[in-house]
Amino acid sequence: MIKFNNVSYNHPDGTNALNNINLDIPEKSITAIVGNNGAGKTTLVKHINGLLKPSTGTVSIKNEDTRKSSVAELSRNVGMVFQNANHQLFADTVKNEILFGLNNFGFNEEFVKERYEFVIELFKLRKYESISPLKLSGGEKKRVCLASVLAWNPEILILDEPTVGQDELQKTVLLKFINQLHSNKKTVIVISHDIEFLWRLQPNIVTMSEGKIIEIGNSESIFKNQKLMERVGIIPPQIIKIFEGLGIKDKIPLSFEESCTIIKNLRN
Amino acid sequence: MQFIANGFIYRKSNSIIHKLDPRVKLLISIQLFTLALLVSDLYNLLIIFTAITIFSLLGKITRRLLRTMIFATGFSVLILIINYFAGYSLLYSIQIALRFISIVCSTSLFFLVTSPDELEYVLRWFRLPRDLVFAFVTSVRFVPVILMDTLQIMDAQKSRGLELEKGNPIARIKKFVPILVPLIINEVIRSGELAEAMESRGYGISKNPTSLYSLKLVNFDIIVISITMISFISVILLGY
Repeated sequence: MIKFNNVSYNHPDGTNALNNINLDIPEKSITAIVGNNGAGKTTLVKHINGLLKPSTGTVSIKNEDTRKSSVAELSRNVGMVFQNANHQLFADTVKNEILFGLNNFGFNEEFVKERYEFVIELFKLRKYESISPLKLSGGEKKRVCLASVLAWNPEILILDEPTVGQDELQKTVLLKFINQLHSNKKTVIVISHDIEFLWRLQPNIVTMSEGKIIEIGNSESIFKNQKLMERVGIIPPQIIKIFEGLGIKDKIPLSFEESCTIIKNLRN
Repeated sequence: MQFIANGFIYRKSNSIIHKLDPRVKLLISIQLFTLALLVSDLYNLLIIFTAITIFSLLGKITRRLLRTMIFATGFSVLILIINYFAGYSLLYSIQIALRFISIVCSTSLFFLVTSPDELEYVLRWFRLPRDLVFAFVTSVRFVPVILMDTLQIMDAQKSRGLELEKGNPIARIKKFVPILVPLIINEVIRSGELAEAMESRGYGISKNPTSLYSLKLVNFDIIVISITMISFISVILLGY
């Protein structure tokens, strides 16, 4: 669905940020992009909604070249939630913040009302709808940002570091939310350094370093590859280390509860 | 926007102009600025532009200085038109417009080759109040950061369907509200955090804080001062 074909990107000052990227992100999948700081993760996803256009090569969504469409046209199908919520929030109330995107795209009143009610309930923001989003806590601001993008029901959702500043409870809510989007046949792309969160999410993983894709695979194959993890500057999930230390390498559990069951069985 | 801002932002380089004592760089900039204010005929303006070009070539900042010129040209065309329609001759209007470009370029020249740290040393050398120096230097230092914030906010709002390029002029101005509000709020929050961080590290405790670095003129600085001073006085005496 999303296809990067020999994509390279140079910043205006000449710095090379992406180097010959070839990547297919399938429809209705969850994909995580991981790598050290400055690897080119955010630069890569900014090509999907047209904020950046490739210096060479092509990026296409459903075989449509992104260079032929404006950011606004692409954003109708590609929602992007930025890392810093403070870079996005400006309206006087949470309600107006959520309506901002819906109004920009010119949807009819019925659709706007329906979507607004859907996201305000989904993200449990009803009690905040008439207060300024700037007065909310970090986690609540993040929820407003998510709601304001999901409001227009984009087919593809890009989340840039969604777990930054979130407590464990919020991370669990986010995890359920991403899985819910996946079951609603959305394509979700997550950029994250939060490996523990990604282990629970079990997405397809794209590893990047110095503007290049190093390897693509499922979570288990990527996170178990010690050399690869070192190369992209990532520490594998603790659960893998523990179970490898216990001599169990073939079946690593996803959750704490599952881990406890396996360890109890080992003791017995 | 980034294109214009890059015409005023310092970048590290090993050029002989960058290596000059910051006081010498300031002196050159003041000399060019003063000449641009004093002279008005095309011949002398040409001398100023030649001097600016020489310094930009030696400082390896020609490309970025050109951006400053492009930025200043927009305003200078407006100045030219206003002067011409106000009844001044075309030649005089052109001279005024060129004078404006040379003033902007001579100021930009200094900021392009002087780091915020060097700027701080110069201002402290003038014995200006430390708080004032700190506030000024910090504002200069934060220009690239604010620019980066602006670009990120623009990206975030464009991703929600905001089209800054569409609509009539009033509609376009209104479209900047979603960019200006988060930008101002972010910067207010940042300045508060910065103040707290500075105080937490002892800012303001001592009336006479020490400094690891001190400004020292080397032989090359003195040669440059001599050449530029002679040139400056010559232009004043012969041309003005």
